[in-house]
Amino acid sequence: MDAMEWVRGSLDHCVKCTICETFCPVSNVTPLFPGPKYVGPQLERFRTGNGSPDASLDYCSGCGICTTVCPQGVKIAEINAKARAGMKAERGVPVRDRIIARPSVMGKVGTPVAPIANWFLQNTLVRRLVERTLRIHRSAPMPPFAGWTFRSWVRRHRPPASAERAVVYFHGCSTNYFEPRVGRMAVEVLEHNGFRVVVPRQECCGLPLQSNGLFDDARRYVHRLVRSLVPFARRGYDIVATSTSCGLMLKREAREILDLEDDEDLRTVSAHTYDVCEFLLMLHERGELKTDFKPVPMTMPYHAPCQQRGHGIGRPAVDLFALIPELEVVETDIECCGIAGTYGLKSEKYDIAMAVGAPLFRQVRETASEVAACDSETCRWQITSATGIPSVHPVEVLHRAYGLGE
Amino acid sequence: MSADAVVIGAGLAGLTAAIRLAEGGLSTTLVAKGVGATHLAPASIDVLGYAPALVESPARALPAFTDERPDHPYARLSPRIVAASMDWLRERVPAISYTGSLDENLLVPTAVGVAKPTALVPEAMAGGDLRAGGRFAFVGLRALKDFYPAYLAENLSQAKLPSGAAVEARAVELRDPGDEADVNPLGYARQFEEPGFRKAVASELLSRVEPGEAVGFPATLGLDNHRTVWRELQDLLERPVFEVPTLPPSVPGIRLFRALRERFRQAGGRLVMGPTVVGADTRDVVVERVVVQAAAARPATHEARWFVLATGGFAAGAIHLDSHGEVWESVFGLPVAGAPGAEPRFLPRYLDDHPMARAGLAVDEVLRPIDARGRPALENLFACGAVLGGAEPWREQSGNGLALSTGFAAASHILERVS
Amino acid sequence: MATLQADVLVIGGGSTGVGVARDATMRGLSTVLVDRGDLATGTTGRFHGLLHSGGRYVVKDPKAALECIHENRVLREIAADCIEDTGGLFVTTPIDDPAYADRFVEGCRGADVPVEEIPVAEAIRREPRLNPRITRAFIVPDASVDSWKTVWGCARSAMAYGAKILPYHEVLRLVVEDSAVKGAVVEDHRGGEEMEIHADLVVNAAGAWAGRIAAMAGCEVTILPGKGIMIAMNHRLVNTVVNRCEMPADGDIIVPIRTVSVIGTTDEKVADPDDWDITRDEVQKMLDAGENLVPGFREARALRVWGGVRPLFQEKAEGTDTRDVTRAHTLLNHRTRDGLERFLTITGGKFCTFRLMAEDTVDVLCAELGVDRACRTAHEPLPDSEDRRFYWLGARVAAREENLHRDQLICECEMIPRRRLEEAMSRRATTDLDDIRRTVRLGMGPCQGGFCIYRATGILHQVQRIPALAANGSLLDFLQERWKGVQPILYGDQLRQARLDDWIFQGLLDVGHLPV
Repeated sequence: MDAMEWVRGSLDHCVKCTICETFCPVSNVTPLFPGPKYVGPQLERFRTGNGSPDASLDYCSGCGICTTVCPQGVKIAEINAKARAGMKAERGVPVRDRIIARPSVMGKVGTPVAPIANWFLQNTLVRRLVERTLRIHRSAPMPPFAGWTFRSWVRRHRPPASAERAVVYFHGCSTNYFEPRVGRMAVEVLEHNGFRVVVPRQECCGLPLQSNGLFDDARRYVHRLVRSLVPFARRGYDIVATSTSCGLMLKREAREILDLEDDEDLRTVSAHTYDVCEFLLMLHERGELKTDFKPVPMTMPYHAPCQQRGHGIGRPAVDLFALIPELEVVETDIECCGIAGTYGLKSEKYDIAMAVGAPLFRQVRETASEVAACDSETCRWQITSATGIPSVHPVEVLHRAYGLGE
Repeated sequence: MSADAVVIGAGLAGLTAAIRLAEGGLSTTLVAKGVGATHLAPASIDVLGYAPALVESPARALPAFTDERPDHPYARLSPRIVAASMDWLRERVPAISYTGSLDENLLVPTAVGVAKPTALVPEAMAGGDLRAGGRFAFVGLRALKDFYPAYLAENLSQAKLPSGAAVEARAVELRDPGDEADVNPLGYARQFEEPGFRKAVASELLSRVEPGEAVGFPATLGLDNHRTVWRELQDLLERPVFEVPTLPPSVPGIRLFRALRERFRQAGGRLVMGPTVVGADTRDVVVERVVVQAAAARPATHEARWFVLATGGFAAGAIHLDSHGEVWESVFGLPVAGAPGAEPRFLPRYLDDHPMARAGLAVDEVLRPIDARGRPALENLFACGAVLGGAEPWREQSGNGLALSTGFAAASHILERVS
Repeated sequence: MATLQADVLVIGGGSTGVGVARDATMRGLSTVLVDRGDLATGTTGRFHGLLHSGGRYVVKDPKAALECIHENRVLREIAADCIEDTGGLFVTTPIDDPAYADRFVEGCRGADVPVEEIPVAEAIRREPRLNPRITRAFIVPDASVDSWKTVWGCARSAMAYGAKILPYHEVLRLVVEDSAVKGAVVEDHRGGEEMEIHADLVVNAAGAWAGRIAAMAGCEVTILPGKGIMIAMNHRLVNTVVNRCEMPADGDIIVPIRTVSVIGTTDEKVADPDDWDITRDEVQKMLDAGENLVPGFREARALRVWGGVRPLFQEKAEGTDTRDVTRAHTLLNHRTRDGLERFLTITGGKFCTFRLMAEDTVDVLCAELGVDRACRTAHEPLPDSEDRRFYWLGARVAAREENLHRDQLICECEMIPRRRLEEAMSRRATTDLDDIRRTVRLGMGPCQGGFCIYRATGILHQVQRIPALAANGSLLDFLQERWKGVQPILYGDQLRQARLDDWIFQGLLDVGHLPV
């Protein structure tokens, strides 16, 4: 049975218990979205595979919390994602979505002219114009270009000679173009623990294309990325990802949503893919993680993004933070920051995204003494934009605690 | 991943066992494929309501009840453990402020107006206690389709209470503010957390309630700040205010879940939600680890010294009946007791006592699953909650009581073995 | 006793009966129709919803096939709103005789049934759940049809022409005088009163019960009830009608109808059309049949099982003048057959030829009454089908999308908003939730009423202003009716649902202790 039917067939498990609806961050703040139970298993029974008449489906942010909490195993978010793609195939995908779904393209274009590009991104008039024409909200947290790429740093970087084993790093476009420091710190943390970090040629995983309904393009991106990574996976290398959402794309979402369940190479890559905190915690449980952490005296809110929960690994970042002396971690327990990848950038969804994230922003403001921590880059940008408080990847906190910055 | 103890299932039984273990000093991981039945059930703890006649005192009725039903999970518990588990819960979730006791069941109205027995209720439900009769006004909210106070009130007014006391009940339909036509209980709970909304509701009600009437709302009175909401309404209305549980989502149940999850975290527990436990590795009579299917295309494992199975019954898919009539327990493949081998598994009349309904795991006196010869196959595996056979929790009104007391007991037995 | 007078009395509110009532009133004859229950609660409401292309009969019964394809086209013209143009597939499965396929194609050509062979890969592309080991595939113009909508469409059309349609009126006895049938005495189950209906001619369209009615006039009409069961699966495993390309056999069709797909059917003779069971063996047979067409069928969720009783007419052995219009259905004129005037029995047949059966009946009826008017039923669309647009599965979703914020969804599974439900309750003037179920599909989705029945009961109590005790009875009756259809297929996902529903009704609401 093909993966489409396997996801669709999971609607049979729905007993209408409403648990997904109680967790949906979007339907809890706006009546424009009727809720995951409604658009997923309920309406799927009325679909024949030729799109869907319910435009309200487009308000699903794709956060995937519904699938995580469903006690019966309904693949709700995946059903929604496919239905939405079908609907968009019927109605057409706006230019805006095609643009923001390609951060790697934006990155390639913007990096050489970063200062100017960033100036434009901050300029109110430009943003208003962009809002009017492309319908990207003028206050949407568009990340600034770093001006240098992580890959350029990798090219200049010499790995330590004493490394006993190797691990592959899947950095993702956001690290490469917008947050290369995260990539650098991740490499240094891994090297500190005796790894040589291999960074193969790689491009975007296609997640934003998938979440915007551009399935054919997304599949091409997935195949291209898998082609780069599978030779390592086959040789037994583990692959770590710092972008928790891109890691989930490789682990599961590409298989389920893009109907690539039978793709052997993708399965092999998935079987070797780890979220970086998951990987480090695994080392720790084997007694292989260096625990020479210096105190980091601060109170830090930690937000586990919805995509991180989709991994089904608990919250390894929290377990790692517990090893750092004097670090007070406040788990926010809010479902979603609102950005949901590219969702909160869109002018018709911006207010919803901000309403979804409001309780989180409040908690962050109330508890952060310096920074907030979060595994997903888009969430970090959303949190910082809304609160003014800098946000870091958990690996940056470990980097600091190891004293690698000095 | 590894821990001292792994609990499978995040319903009331699983959460209870997990908190107790974590507070007892064991590093505890709670793995659950999703949220449990706390979100579907009201937070009241029903210990024993019908046996099958109405039970006035669970404390007095339980000994005879378990004598007649030696396979019932209550028969595996010592008399004081049920009471101990209730005291334990009361202490763990002070914000819910449970009231009631094993000595006498309360009678509270259901959403169709039946006076239903239950042992422990949150303070926000206590005002609906019908034992002494009384006068009640039930409130209908404009956009809530899950509550029909006129129907409720008419049935309740005809209820024959054991005390012989009379109940006078009527309905008051509100035109509460708002534009949406369809708001679910959780949506209303959020509205009630706004002071302006509360005042508007109270002021409309004040002009319509009569002296001596207690006011019953559908269970929507706030979520995180429910105590403030409930107290303020009582103050504004100057009379007892109580909640009536209605169709899922159960707002009181969500409150309980959140409170228990927080207790678990404070006790140092680790919650892993999402992956399904699909199997286990055992060596001789010991479970070494359970195998989970998480996101990646590789099985992950949770190693522990102690394991608690709190996966639920048929409703949760923990016990599975397939189209050929085969029955099995879905994690460890444990033998399922009480499953009729042949037809009939279910009887023709809906309200009959169906043979299949009592199927589940049989356990020894320390709540370890046993085989047909009465011996536990695995010495470090314990079971609690709806996965246990021998009970009909909804007909008996014993669901949450069983979950709480067996979860508590399973953890207690483990802690005894540790020390 | 109250009396009614009409030209024609039709006994039986299935497709044939309402078809006769419509045709007769359109030809200017005043008509009364009675049924002991709600309309379409006999065989008509209990089949799998297949609008035959005729492909099923082209080898075994070519005449029936010709009728089917002809009526298929007519119904598409007049009852488009009741029909979903799903198309059909005939596939040769691993257990089928491969040689049959060629005979099938030849038979289709001979019977004017459009048929086109497609590559197996194409069939599987269209229907990914189909058994990948099929060896041949053919497209035919099958469709799925909603029998309740069709029956009520005919009834409304008949009423618009002046007919009186009386469900819940059971015939107690026929009035026979001077070797002629003059009418009937009926009892209104709702009010309990008896009524005498005088008619110039009585049509016995009582389907599987036609023998009983005929016996009331002293005529022997032997109907052999043939029970068949069907199982509705929770969602559309296929979006096209799928038939096994083989001689007709048990469980050889899956029909996508509304939100479900139906596997059917069996054939077992029973003695009494009101007294039979659904057996475990029959259920297992259907599941095996489903597995043959759609691998993984047994893991899919079975929603509901029901049975219907085919009215199979057995001709009398010695010389009689039965007027077989075709072998598919039989029209008996009791004047020539039994010496009893003004009494016709129309029996046999299948749903998709009901209009033709009615036409044949009313032709003879008119001849008996000396009326000369032509049949127009093939040309005039039923109410709601005037625009000749086929039913579209997404219709309720689109309607709800227009109304997301202004109305409440009471039955969420089947997308029934509150206003629609209240309107159906008022229009049917009924306290029986099962009547409402048939009208709007209340409680027919996956949760089988788990959430909506409590809501519907509360609304019934309010809108119909009935006492709570009556509402309680309605609620419990509905739960029992629903249980009948669920209990034989209670396994897997549906068992999970049933346990949740039990929690709601017994645990949360405690309906077992409601006053009745």
